Amino acid sequence: MSDMPVNKGPHDIGGESAGPIDTTDHGMKFWEKQANALRSVLSRAGVVKVDELRRAAEGLEQYGKLAYFEVTTSALRVLLLEKGLITEAELKAKMAEVRGRFSVPDEMESPIKKKDKR
Amino acid sequence: MSPDTAAIRSSYAPAPGHRYAVGDRVRIKGVFPPGHRRTPWYIRGKRGVIERICGAFPNPEELAYGFDGEPAKVLYRVRFAQKHVWPGYRGPDHDVIEMEIFEHWLEPDEGEAP
Repeated sequence: MSDMPVNKGPHDIGGESAGPIDTTDHGMKFWEKQANALRSVLSRAGVVKVDELRRAAEGLEQYGKLAYFEVTTSALRVLLLEKGLITEAELKAKMAEVRGRFSVPDEMESPIKKKDKR
Repeated sequence: MSPDTAAIRSSYAPAPGHRYAVGDRVRIKGVFPPGHRRTPWYIRGKRGVIERICGAFPNPEELAYGFDGEPAKVLYRVRFAQKHVWPGYRGPDHDVIEMEIFEHWLEPDEGEAP
């Protein structure tokens, strides 16, 4: 038997000790701005609702390990697949195409070559 | 923000057929159903007082799954004593926490005030 309370979501942490909070403003990365714009447009157009995004986010297995825009973007991915607006195959093909533009051998490697960094 | 939008977002939207009135004592249901729920874990089973009626709104617990959220649910702001909510609370006795909770999470509280 698990000690985890039944049906308690990973987001529902009110009153729990959470350790220090990093209040540094990290700004937004380019992809975060792009992904956030997409989420904003789809919300404004009524394609996805904020309640759906929250529900999808709460269901992410990696919820506690993901950064904010990773959570919102992963939730958006779930909803678009759920609504049949994209398929896994289309998403995979598009990601491969985009990745190809950067000639990145490993998906975890930065698209910015080390020698190009300033 | 247009006047129309402001009206929709008002904290005092109409709440036809509301079951509770300002000042009524209520208890948050101590239940733990699966799914997207808009009532924080830590407030379930706690007892408070209706502070205001916020209005009726599409049910977010249905909207979360792509449904239309109808019929709308009445939303209340409920006031709780901090010392009641948090065991061992060290602040003043008059400290309160207020939270907006939908009607279907409430039941009448008949006992003595916590």
